[in-house]
Amino acid sequence: MYQYDIIDREFLIDRSNEFRGQVQRRLAGEMTEDQFKPLRLMNGLYLQLHAYMLRVAIPYGSLNAAQTRRLAWIARTYDKGYGHMTTRQNIQFNWVKLKDAPDILDALAQVDLHAIQTSGNCIRNTTSDPYAGATAEEIDDPRVWAEVIRQWSTLHPEFSYLPRKFKIAITGAAKDRTAAKVHDIGLMLRRARDGSLGFEVIVGGGQGRTPYVGPTIKEHLPVSRLLSYLEAVLRVYNRHGRRDNIYKARIKILVAALGAEEFGRQVEEEWAKIDAARADLPDHELARIRGAFASTPFETLPERSDVFEAARAASPVLQRFARNNIKPHKKPGYAIVEISLKAQGQTPGDATADQLDLIADLAEQYSLNDVRVTHAQNMVLPHVKLDDVPAVHAALAAAGLATANIDLASDIIACPGLDYCALANARAIGVAQDIAAKFADEDHAEKVGELKIKISGCINACGHHHVAHIGILGVDKKGEEFYQLSLGGSGAEDASIGKILGPALPADKVAGAIDTLVEAYLGIRTGEERFLDTYRRVGLEPFKEAVYAQAD
Amino acid sequence: MKAITANRLLDGEVVFWKSGQWVEAFGDAQLFDNDDAAVDAAVATGKGQPTVVVDVYPIDLTPSEGHWAPVSYRERIRALGPTNEPTHGKQADGGESIDALRHAAGAARSSGRVDLIRRK
Repeated sequence: MYQYDIIDREFLIDRSNEFRGQVQRRLAGEMTEDQFKPLRLMNGLYLQLHAYMLRVAIPYGSLNAAQTRRLAWIARTYDKGYGHMTTRQNIQFNWVKLKDAPDILDALAQVDLHAIQTSGNCIRNTTSDPYAGATAEEIDDPRVWAEVIRQWSTLHPEFSYLPRKFKIAITGAAKDRTAAKVHDIGLMLRRARDGSLGFEVIVGGGQGRTPYVGPTIKEHLPVSRLLSYLEAVLRVYNRHGRRDNIYKARIKILVAALGAEEFGRQVEEEWAKIDAARADLPDHELARIRGAFASTPFETLPERSDVFEAARAASPVLQRFARNNIKPHKKPGYAIVEISLKAQGQTPGDATADQLDLIADLAEQYSLNDVRVTHAQNMVLPHVKLDDVPAVHAALAAAGLATANIDLASDIIACPGLDYCALANARAIGVAQDIAAKFADEDHAEKVGELKIKISGCINACGHHHVAHIGILGVDKKGEEFYQLSLGGSGAEDASIGKILGPALPADKVAGAIDTLVEAYLGIRTGEERFLDTYRRVGLEPFKEAVYAQAD
Repeated sequence: MKAITANRLLDGEVVFWKSGQWVEAFGDAQLFDNDDAAVDAAVATGKGQPTVVVDVYPIDLTPSEGHWAPVSYRERIRALGPTNEPTHGKQADGGESIDALRHAAGAARSSGRVDLIRRK
């Protein structure tokens, strides 16, 4: 894992001190709210419905045990004992007081954490594959490149006042767990026929009120040229992005207006003007960063663990957990263990301080001091020995963290919605809980199989509803909460934007409608088809008929 | 009827206007007639206290169980706390006024909210 050096640490302390001064000036009346708001947002501090909310970055979704414990301590000390995982590898605290925020930033800085790039019109926290460095599928470790971008983009003077926020995701695996194609820039590591490493560069994807799957503007960018190319993309966007209209200010609007080919051409033109020696990362610096991630002290273990095989043969519960939450590791004898934050009745993505402390302990004892958070609002112990899986499972189960539902219907992404968020039109959490309850029967949920349900409380789409197999958007219909269903979206490598099923439904009809959709799917699926595959084969009509015939 | 709400600068707490003070419980809020000129005056006073409160706006009320409740569910959630955690926020205090808020239903969005969106 990458370790911050003295420059990083001094930088965080300076930043925290600067914000303390800004808060003091605001409280003393030396700054107006309009002057202060952009400054607090640059430190991840929002004013929500009930209190301030602090969004803390988890760069490329990676935490060590000490950091996880510190988050638990903050949840206990400054919140009501919870943290909430977002859909972009951040953690949010919902009950923060303005007067405490500088102290919290100090506490975060002590463990190399911060809230920089979690808000504002800058390059946001770069997200990556939560299985990075653990999955056998990956071509290269995306954390290396995410760390390079972190160092390059943090408070980048040219790109701190972009037309709008700017989000980058990187994956090194063909199976995309980062939603790269619906980011402002998605980077997919690829190896060319000659063996050279490059990025497929996808630009102008996004969600919100104008969703797009991003087009590829460069098939193979040599990895050594990453920073100069990003600079060129950002420069074209900074120059031509629509600053006159907030709804048209994201890069996706510019790319769609110009066309991917023309946008790509302008980027190439800009790129040719950039002095590569200045802009690109020197090899020795890349080697230093790469070294930090290459030093994971794996043991040489046999492929098969008799301890694990015996334990799961004896326990249907562990067997189910293994089927759904354990993923293959690149090293023999190790496993990736997913921790679901989607237990029945739980607020999707919420972890209590005690749960975070436990996860920190398990990471230290069993996972090489490494914890990940996923954009699907779950957590991961990336490096668990198969021999240790039974013990890890037992510890997770005792803390309510062993729900065996990863990517199943009850593993629902939900934004905080109108229960917390000042922008929301409708609640998301309660709807998610109602739907999850329909799949409380674990056999039924497994029979249904992979089904990604995602809920947003407003069109900003933090809950990723556009790229859900079943997406749910909360709308305000004459002051009542209604929910619009869409089908057939995907945020993975087979990305697509969902299509609206029909008129919005009142809150109490949503869970029933999901049930109806699933029953319709079970009736028409063939073989191993996922819900998404069946939808892609048969289209919207059979589902529309099932839901609205019943509603009449 | 109307009440006036804001968030307290220091901690973000939802507060309501009561005779020149800001109070935390909706049940303690001062109630105004719809056409009362005092609403505008109180909002103006609130906006003139930038080191005390932010986002000052009036909200519309509707009768509920012998009490008054905000018309919009957004404002009811602000006056209660998040519905997914019934022990968090103001609702933890309980009492008749809280129950009346919980049971209020139906709604149109308050005019203050529209202004707020426009400003953001």
